[in-house]
Amino acid sequence: MERLPYILVIAAWAYVTLGHLLPEVLGPRLVSRSRPVAWFAVAVHLFALALGAATSPHPTGLPEALSATALGLGIAYTWLAHRNMAALGMLLAPLTLVLIGTALVVPHRSVLALEETGYSPWLPIHLGLIFSGIAGFAVSSAVGVMFLWVRARLKQKKLAGLARLPSLEVLDRFQFRAMLFGFVFLTLGIGAGGAWAAASLTDPWALDPKIIFTLCIWAWYGMALQVRLVSGRRGRWTALFSIVGFGGLLFSLVGLNFLLSGWHAYGN
Amino acid sequence: MATSRPLVAVGLSHHTAPVEVRERVSMDPAGVKRVLDRLRDQRILREGMLLSTCNRMELYGVVEDEAGLRSFFNEYRGPTGEHIDRYLYWKRDRDAVYHLFRVACSLDSLVLGEPQILGQVKEAMRLAEEHAAMGQILHPLARRTLSVAKRVRSETDIGKSRVGIGNAGVDLAIQIFGSLSGKRAMLVGVGEMGRQVAQALLSAGLDELLIANRTFERSVALAEETGGTPVPYDKLEDYLARADIVLAATGAKQPIITAEMVRRALRTRRYHTVFLIDLAVPRNIDPGVDDLEEAYLFNIDDLSKVMEQGKRAREEAARSAEKLVSEEADRFVQSLRTVDINDDLARMNAVAETIRVAEVGRSAKLTRGLDEAQLEQLDKLTKSMVKKVLHRQMMAIRMAAKAGDQDRVEALLDPWKEEG
Repeated sequence: MERLPYILVIAAWAYVTLGHLLPEVLGPRLVSRSRPVAWFAVAVHLFALALGAATSPHPTGLPEALSATALGLGIAYTWLAHRNMAALGMLLAPLTLVLIGTALVVPHRSVLALEETGYSPWLPIHLGLIFSGIAGFAVSSAVGVMFLWVRARLKQKKLAGLARLPSLEVLDRFQFRAMLFGFVFLTLGIGAGGAWAAASLTDPWALDPKIIFTLCIWAWYGMALQVRLVSGRRGRWTALFSIVGFGGLLFSLVGLNFLLSGWHAYGN
Repeated sequence: MATSRPLVAVGLSHHTAPVEVRERVSMDPAGVKRVLDRLRDQRILREGMLLSTCNRMELYGVVEDEAGLRSFFNEYRGPTGEHIDRYLYWKRDRDAVYHLFRVACSLDSLVLGEPQILGQVKEAMRLAEEHAAMGQILHPLARRTLSVAKRVRSETDIGKSRVGIGNAGVDLAIQIFGSLSGKRAMLVGVGEMGRQVAQALLSAGLDELLIANRTFERSVALAEETGGTPVPYDKLEDYLARADIVLAATGAKQPIITAEMVRRALRTRRYHTVFLIDLAVPRNIDPGVDDLEEAYLFNIDDLSKVMEQGKRAREEAARSAEKLVSEEADRFVQSLRTVDINDDLARMNAVAETIRVAEVGRSAKLTRGLDEAQLEQLDKLTKSMVKKVLHRQMMAIRMAAKAGDQDRVEALLDPWKEEG
C-alpha cells in the first residue's frame, strides 16, 4: 500500500476522532470542521485504494481488506453525520482510525488461492460486496453499543448528557437497518465468492475454515433478523446480536487466517 | 468604535423593573413604528431597533442626540407617577453589543434558554428594517446577532432541556421515541398533573390521547377539552397494549397497573417500547414494571430529577454560552471599528482631494501653456503624490484602530476633521 495517502487519511481521522472524544482540545470552531475533514479522508482513501488496485500485483491482502472495511465505515460516518446521528461518530471515527492504522502496520499477505489462480473479475465483486456488508455490520454494532448505553442510562434514570444523543427508537431503527444492509451484502458477497471459486479453482466446493466461519456468522445474523421480524424482540436483543456478530466478523477478518490453514488463508 | 456615533442599548427588563412599570412601556408593532419614526425624524437616532416583549423594552440605536433620547424616556412614568429613569440601564458600544447578544441567546431571559426571545428579536429587526431604521451599524449587528444565537443553540445545550413537569415528560418521551408523531398516549385519571403532562405531549405532536377515568363523564369532559378519546376504565388492560405512553395520576391507594398487565400488553404489541409515567402518590404503577425489558417507568421523583438535571444542564450551558457571546461581542466591535475607520479614511481622501484640486487651480499661471495630455499628466502626478503622502497616515490609523487604541485614532484623525 502507498503510505503517503494513508498517512493523510490517518491524520484526518485522528482529527475527527479528537473532535469527538476531546472536543475541548480542538475548540468548537475546529470541531465544526470535522465533517469536511471526514469527507476529505474518504476521498483520499478512495484514491489510495484505487491507486493500490492499479499498481499492486496482489491488491487483495490483509491490509487492503482492513483498508476497504475502514473506507466503508468512513462512508457510513459521513452519511450518518448528515442524518442527525453525528453522536455515533464518537464510536465510528476511532474504529475507522484503528482499522486504517492496523492496515498500515500489518504485513502484506495475499490469499493463498489467489497466488495460485491469479486475478478474476469475480474477485472485486466478491470483495466489494463482502466489505460493504462488513461496514454495515460495523455500523450496526456501533449503534448497538450506543443503544445499550442510552438504554442503561434511562433505566438508571441518569439522564445528564442524553439530550445530545439520538433517541432509543431511532438508534434501534438504525441498528436494524444497518444489520439488514450488512446481511444482504454479505449474502450477495458469499454468492459472488462461490461464483469466483467455481470459475477459478480446481475444487471449488472444498470448504476451508474461513468459509465455514463466515457461514456461521451469516447464520448468526440471519437468526438475529429472524428473532426481530418473527417474534418482535428488538432493541437490546438486536444490539447484543449485532455486537457479538461483529466481534466474530473481526476475528474472521484478522485472526482466523493466521490461526487456521486452508486456501482462504494468507500466504507470504 | 468612534465616539461620535455611539451605539447604545437602553431599556428596562424583569431584572430592573416590576410588571407594573413594564406594562406601561410595553408597545405593539404600531407603537414601535411610531417611536422609531419619531426618534429618527427628531434626529435623536440615526439608526434604531426597538424590542418590546412582556419582560423587556429595549431600544438599540446609533445615537445622534443623547440628551434628546433621555428626554424621550423621561416622558414615561411609573405607576406612582415617578420617572422611569431608576429602572433604566444604559449600555454603550461593546456593552450594548454584548447585551443584545445575551438577550438573543436567551441568557438574559426569565427562563434561561427559552426559545421565544429569538423570534421576538427577529420581529424587532424586521420592524426596524421595514421602517428603514437599520443602517451601517445595526444591519451587521442584526446579522451577527442571529448567527451568534444560532452558534449558541448548536454549540451549547442551552435549549436542550426545558422547565415544568409537562416538558420534563415530553423530554423523556422524545429521548425514548425521537418524535411523538404517530404515537398514542393513555391518561389514567384526570388529575391536574396528568392533564399538564398530557397537554404538553399533545403540544409536542402526540397523535392520539386516550383518557380513562373511574367516572366516565369526567373522561368525556376532559376529552372534549383536549381533543382526546374517552375509553372505559374497566377496559384499561386492553387499551394498555395500544398505548406507547401511559400517564397514571389517580387517587388509588394501590397500583392499578401491575407488572403482569404490562408484560401481557408488551407481548400483544410485539415488544414495541412503552413509556410509563407514574405521577401519583401513592404510586399507581407497580415499580416492577421497570424491570421489563421494553418498559421505561418514571415516577414523580424521577421527573423531579429530570427537571433538576435540566436546570443544572442549562446553567452549565449558560456558562459556556456567556464565554462564546463575550468573544463574539469583541469580534463584532473589532469589525465595527473597521467600518468606522473606512468612513473617516474616505473623508480624509475627500479633504486631500479638495486641497489638491484647489492647489492645482491656484497654479493656473504655470499650467496655462500646457496641452490636454500634459494637464492629464500633471493631474496624475499630483494625485499620486497626495496618495503617497496619505498612505503612511492611513496605515497608522488602521494600525491604531486594529489595536483598539481609540485615543490615537482620534488624534490622527483630528486635523482632518478640522479641515472638513
